[in-house]
Amino acid sequence: MKNPSSSNNEQCNKAAIEDNMLLTMFDSSSDSNITNQDALDERIGFLDAVRGSSIGLQNGKPPTSKIFGAVFHMLRTGNSIQLIVASYMLLVDLEKHFPRAYLSGVDDSLLSSNSPPELVVAEEAWSPLIVGLDNATAVSEAGDKQSGGPLDPSSFHLLIEELAETLTESNIQATSMKPLQNLLLFQYLVIVLESDFLPRNVTMNWSLQRESLLNMLLVEKNSESQLSKNCHTALSFALLEVLKNTRVSVEKLLVMIMALDTSRKKADIEGHTSRADGPRTPLVDIILDDLAYNKDSVPHFLKIFSEPKSKLEIVVQYLWKYITKPSTRTRRSNGFTEDTTFEGALKCFSNNTGTKSIIKKIGADVVQLLLAHGFQAQLSILSERNANDNIGGDKEEGANALVDLCQTFISAFDSLRSTDRQENHFSAF
Amino acid sequence: MDDDPLDFEVQDDLLVSLPINKKRKKAIGLDDLLNDHYKEQDKLLEKNNKKAKKKAKEKKKYEDEDRKEAYLTRILKAFGEESEIPVWGVKVFGEQKPFPPLDFTDLGSCNFIQSFLKNKLNSVVELAPDKGDSFLEGLLVNGWLSKLAFLSGQVEKPVAIWAFNTMLYSSKEELQNSSSDFWCGILSTGKEVDQFSVKIDWFPEYKDLRSALDTYGFLFKFSSSAGHESSDSDSGVPPQNIRAWIRFVTSCCLIRNKKAIFSTVEAEEIVEIIICLFLDRQFQGLLVLLNDCMKAIVNYFTDQEWRSSCENIAKFIACRVSEDLNCIQIVECVSEVSSRCKQLRSAIAYQSLLSCFDGVRYLPLPSSLFMVVHKKSKMKGPDPLGEPGTKWEISTSAVQGFKPIMWLLYARREQFKNADVAGRRIWIVNSGEEILKSLDAINFKDKNCDFFKMYVHLVLIENWVLSNSFDEDNPVIYEMFCSFLRYCSSLISATDLRTYASKVRHKASYLLHFSV
Repeated sequence: MKNPSSSNNEQCNKAAIEDNMLLTMFDSSSDSNITNQDALDERIGFLDAVRGSSIGLQNGKPPTSKIFGAVFHMLRTGNSIQLIVASYMLLVDLEKHFPRAYLSGVDDSLLSSNSPPELVVAEEAWSPLIVGLDNATAVSEAGDKQSGGPLDPSSFHLLIEELAETLTESNIQATSMKPLQNLLLFQYLVIVLESDFLPRNVTMNWSLQRESLLNMLLVEKNSESQLSKNCHTALSFALLEVLKNTRVSVEKLLVMIMALDTSRKKADIEGHTSRADGPRTPLVDIILDDLAYNKDSVPHFLKIFSEPKSKLEIVVQYLWKYITKPSTRTRRSNGFTEDTTFEGALKCFSNNTGTKSIIKKIGADVVQLLLAHGFQAQLSILSERNANDNIGGDKEEGANALVDLCQTFISAFDSLRSTDRQENHFSAF
Repeated sequence: MDDDPLDFEVQDDLLVSLPINKKRKKAIGLDDLLNDHYKEQDKLLEKNNKKAKKKAKEKKKYEDEDRKEAYLTRILKAFGEESEIPVWGVKVFGEQKPFPPLDFTDLGSCNFIQSFLKNKLNSVVELAPDKGDSFLEGLLVNGWLSKLAFLSGQVEKPVAIWAFNTMLYSSKEELQNSSSDFWCGILSTGKEVDQFSVKIDWFPEYKDLRSALDTYGFLFKFSSSAGHESSDSDSGVPPQNIRAWIRFVTSCCLIRNKKAIFSTVEAEEIVEIIICLFLDRQFQGLLVLLNDCMKAIVNYFTDQEWRSSCENIAKFIACRVSEDLNCIQIVECVSEVSSRCKQLRSAIAYQSLLSCFDGVRYLPLPSSLFMVVHKKSKMKGPDPLGEPGTKWEISTSAVQGFKPIMWLLYARREQFKNADVAGRRIWIVNSGEEILKSLDAINFKDKNCDFFKMYVHLVLIENWVLSNSFDEDNPVIYEMFCSFLRYCSSLISATDLRTYASKVRHKASYLLHFSV
């Protein structure tokens, strides 16, 4: 039969032919304005063929960059729902099937073993995002940013701004494909960022985390820091009226950026960062500033942002920004460390003066919301911890912690109410 | 032989209810139509010429042109209709029915609400016993309801029913989303494979889900030939709750180990419903949701159930789908993500193929058919067809077209096995192998060769053959398929401009290169 070298060669040839054949299926009608049913059928056929020749095969290989580019182009410029959704789904499935980064040796049986998992990165993988200096030329060659090619950081920020605009409209108009395209494009990009960032973040190694698409996207030198700040502001706005799935994606992106910030902070402390990493304001600070300026967006933001750990962090930092720190106590004098946790914040409501001053600063409504959402987040964290502890014992301690939390919360709330009533009473005069 | 129907035809129900295929008739009659048109025009011109002597020249000219234009428009219209193949899409929703009145009087009595009422902190919340549902709405939307369920470890019946009904019947988007999140959340709890970590006092039954779908206007008596979507925008649009419905069904399918909510027959019906939803163009944007649901419901069956269920579903679908692009859409909506999905896809393709071939032929229509009785009937009494060897001539005009004759042959296939039709052999097909064999008889140069149907068949055969491992298990079928592909790719001329001729050719050469 065949000798191995020739069969290998044949495979390469076959792949090359396949590429060309697939692309001719699609090139014959490459103008973005397809109204013709035949042309649409051909594109759907193209997507099926790509799926069949990659995911559909055992030991299938990922499509070439050319093919990826063509599918991505369809997502960005297609004008039929069928085509847009089908190309989105293919891209997502390809990402899941051929992850761009993963940890080798992660297996349930190996979790307990001591050897650290090793990060495997598909360096050659096609990316819908162009980051890093090497690609600067590629971007300029691509020219028109609306062309349907991969996005550079500034197009990414532009996308988020457009998205925010779409989502803050009181009702999304179902008259154009653009909003749908933007929503799906954004969801896909978050999936890509996640698939690249999460395994890198597990390694706790800044040199790997630094090279994540997410980090490179955020520290891109071309984009002014002002722009990226706008982008985050837009993001937190976007949370207000978001559609169900995009809401999840937006939240994922925010949580991911916060995780990156934490990793970076840790790397900073351990001295692994350098000037090359560039300065960047942590996302929490941006969100807090934003919420402080737009008090109206606080309830929406807190309602939609559900991931307990990040939510608690935002709530706690927000509260501590406005809680008057006791000046008489110094940390060193009696070994007392300031309790900047949520429970610590709750305790500050035990005296009337503290409560009064914080109501004055941020208003009783906002305080009430912050306490309620912080309580919810803390409760989730505690009960999850309890569920995990159930296996190892310590049930009592967990239950006590819950009861303590509830009691502190109730008394803080009571104090808030009575103080507020007094204030209202006085202001009525 | 006169034009009276054969006596056995009268009894044949199949023949009585035969749909007369207008499209096909038109295709054949197009030349005649043109000829008629020219003849009539000639007559008209003659008439007009006679009249012209009396009437003013100019007036006549205008009238004439108007008529000409009208004729031409009519002809062009007929031409356009003929060459345009409708896109896929079936109306699967009719008019919505009034939503059931929701009664939440039970809510006040459940412990969950009572515990709030009794708590001394109720002075803060100020909950009234009859305001249970609006209180619950607040808890639901703010994410408290599921947290409280996890903490208390229980969801009481009134609360469960309330959340279920809110999910399916509330018109508020926010409530739909949060109640489906709530239900999907409590269903997916529990680290153990066979136990919920929350005690759920009430589960919906399939009939609850089915009646919701019925309220949304779902047409359970679905048939893809019943007509394509009308532009009528008022009926046929289900409420947004359908998304929550799909999501909920998906969650239910994933928990069979903990609670089997659907019986096997019900699960089969759900697969059929999901396939129907795929056919409605309104749901093009819900591809991801529908795909997830399909994956989940197909895995709901046990291995043993699946063997027969897969075939039941395929048969159900196949006998309801018409031989057009919907046929392809159905096969392709079952993605090939798992081996079960592949099996289902293949089974649907195979069953659709069989039902397509119930009487469809690529052979041209002869003016009359001769049939030779092949076998003696098993019927008691004298056989209306006569002894084997009796020759029948049937005028095709008597039975209006070829398809009825094939029905007839099919109904009597035992007796007419491989009957000779005007010197050519007709294949009475009842297996995939025979279908493939019959394809060899196609003459692409024949002007009646229907490339669109051939395209549909090619896709079906592809899905049937390639989803099975026929290259190992049944090399005969595999080889026949390959030879058919070679036949299509080499014998259909690249300059053949007939509808779908080039599509068949391209598809065949593509498959030949990469799939076989």
